[in-house]
Amino acid sequence: MVALVRKDLLLELRSREVVPAMATFVLASFVLFRFALGGDRLGGGVRAATGLLWVAVVFTAMLGLSRAFASEREHRIWDGLLSTPVDRSALWLAKACSTFVFLVVMQAVALPLFWLFFLQEGHPPSIPVLVAALLLADAGIASLGAMLAGLASASHAREVLLPVLFLPFAVPLVLVGVQVTVATISPQTRAMDTLERLGFLGLYATIFALLGWALFEYVVED
Amino acid sequence: MSSSEAVRCSGLVRRFGERDALAGLDLVVADGEVVLLTGPNGAGKTTLLRVLATVLRPSEGSASLYGHELPRQAGPARRLVGYAGHEPLLYPLLTAAENLRLYSALHGSDGAEVEPALERVGMARRAADRVEELSRGMRQRLSLARAMLHEPRLLLLDEPTSGLDDEGRGVLRALLEQSGRTAVIATHEPGWFTGVAGRAVAIDRGRVAV
Amino acid sequence: MGISSQSARPDPGTLAAAAAAVLMGAALALIFFYVPTDVDQGYSQRIFYFHVPIAMTTYVLFAWSAVNAVRYLLSRDRSLDMKSYVPMHLGVIFGSLTLVTGAVWAKASWGVWWYWGSTQLNTFLIIFLFYCAYFMLRFSVEDGEKRATYSAVYALLGVGLIPVSVLAVRVSQELIHPITFNRNGANMDGSMFLTFLVSLAAMLALAVSMYFVEMRGKRLDERVRRIRRLAEAAR
Repeated sequence: MVALVRKDLLLELRSREVVPAMATFVLASFVLFRFALGGDRLGGGVRAATGLLWVAVVFTAMLGLSRAFASEREHRIWDGLLSTPVDRSALWLAKACSTFVFLVVMQAVALPLFWLFFLQEGHPPSIPVLVAALLLADAGIASLGAMLAGLASASHAREVLLPVLFLPFAVPLVLVGVQVTVATISPQTRAMDTLERLGFLGLYATIFALLGWALFEYVVED
Repeated sequence: MSSSEAVRCSGLVRRFGERDALAGLDLVVADGEVVLLTGPNGAGKTTLLRVLATVLRPSEGSASLYGHELPRQAGPARRLVGYAGHEPLLYPLLTAAENLRLYSALHGSDGAEVEPALERVGMARRAADRVEELSRGMRQRLSLARAMLHEPRLLLLDEPTSGLDDEGRGVLRALLEQSGRTAVIATHEPGWFTGVAGRAVAIDRGRVAV
Repeated sequence: MGISSQSARPDPGTLAAAAAAVLMGAALALIFFYVPTDVDQGYSQRIFYFHVPIAMTTYVLFAWSAVNAVRYLLSRDRSLDMKSYVPMHLGVIFGSLTLVTGAVWAKASWGVWWYWGSTQLNTFLIIFLFYCAYFMLRFSVEDGEKRATYSAVYALLGVGLIPVSVLAVRVSQELIHPITFNRNGANMDGSMFLTFLVSLAAMLALAVSMYFVEMRGKRLDERVRRIRRLAEAAR
């Protein structure tokens, strides 16, 4: 399985397709959002901006995921991989891990930009909490995303289908992600609540990791 | 059904939507035999090979490899089978060696057999070249190396001679002449295989043509 | 396979339809003539007797679909794919009705068309989105084993979505959310409870009879397709 993850990372390194595209997309989103919220003064405040951050994260993730199985599909490589005794779930896990890495790299770029664009005025949310929330959310997105990318590849309209399939699942994620981040702005928020919300994000990742592990063989078997 | 039979198919059907690519195919291949599959394009040769490679599941009927019933016992069957399809099934952006090392890992091995495999197909000098830089003939050779990596008992080859250069053809012939080698080969050049192949089976419209 | 003969036992579809008709009639009578008008919310509160049973039926349909999805994946029996798809399809219909009745009730009770603070309503919205996505998936994949398998897998992912949605909404509430209305059975008096139960039974029976109608239609389709395939092969 390690070999599979290494393979994905190597491929990305050489093709430089996915991560730069995601980073550019995030930057463009932020510019768009900044102007949409008000060029001079930040209308809606930090709260709205945080919401938009999470939305940008989700959409960027979907952009990255749409290429998740692209190389396997392009060259019929699935036939080669499937004829080996490798565990089908390992194929899923490797794809989820490499997706996780890409998401983290993308956010490492996005967060400083976010700080620059949106957090220069007003009361900022807690950055450690935001980072923790993003990492946990990434795990969930990667797990579920690897599954759904597999499902979507069956159709010709796969670039459109993937967001459609993913968005219902993204709603609870964004809901809690925004809440946990924004709540840290107010000093009245109890640590218990924050932990509870972070715990939810962890639970989300766990549930969909388990489902991904169990179900991927059905996605891949023809 | 003993395990000295490499392949046994009985009434094998494989459906794609409304179309039956395989429509009740019967085939028996004994251990050590080299059998050719001939027939027009679209006859079902590739589909048959893919089912035997455990990449596709049978829709109806039965197929088994060395006594392992597919798809239930596909896992153990996979260790015994080496599949080289129409396409080279290699990542173009990875080097020859990297591709083979990946497959070695997928077979649960540590990569020790990668170098000798490259030697055997005469690709040792190009091991560090990316697959996209290799010529068609070299990619075919590499694909063969990949299929043979884990010393399978049964080789499934789909048009192995197409695009293969002279050096590669020599390699292929040597490979097949090795005693005890069992293979099922789909080809449009049955003539080239005389001396190596035991018999040819004609496939037409998803069935063995009579 | 010859023409299926009508056995002496009545067809379950007809039974269900009959039961649904009776129960519906009873429920409507109870809702409009029997149950006392709610003190707080007035006449329009009667929507509740439609809205909640329809919502519960939607959840039941989803569970039914998920169970058959698991059975399909384990057995690869294609009829189970149909049995998983049809409840999902009915779930969309009942789900839309839930949203509509919910909006009407919200408007009548609180003057707004939607109440974003409600756990139930928000969870339901997410599930409804999921239903729609399920159909997009189904329409995008060609008929065959792959479509059946992928539908089953997605349905099971949806099973994970339900507890996740409920928890998400609850965990992200800012204030202790004031439950300003009681809709749980514990707070209903006898006549209200009876009406509620009858209505629930009626909705379930309706769902079941629609299930049979749709299944029959799909089976006919399948039979036609099989005949056509045999005719092609014989040519």
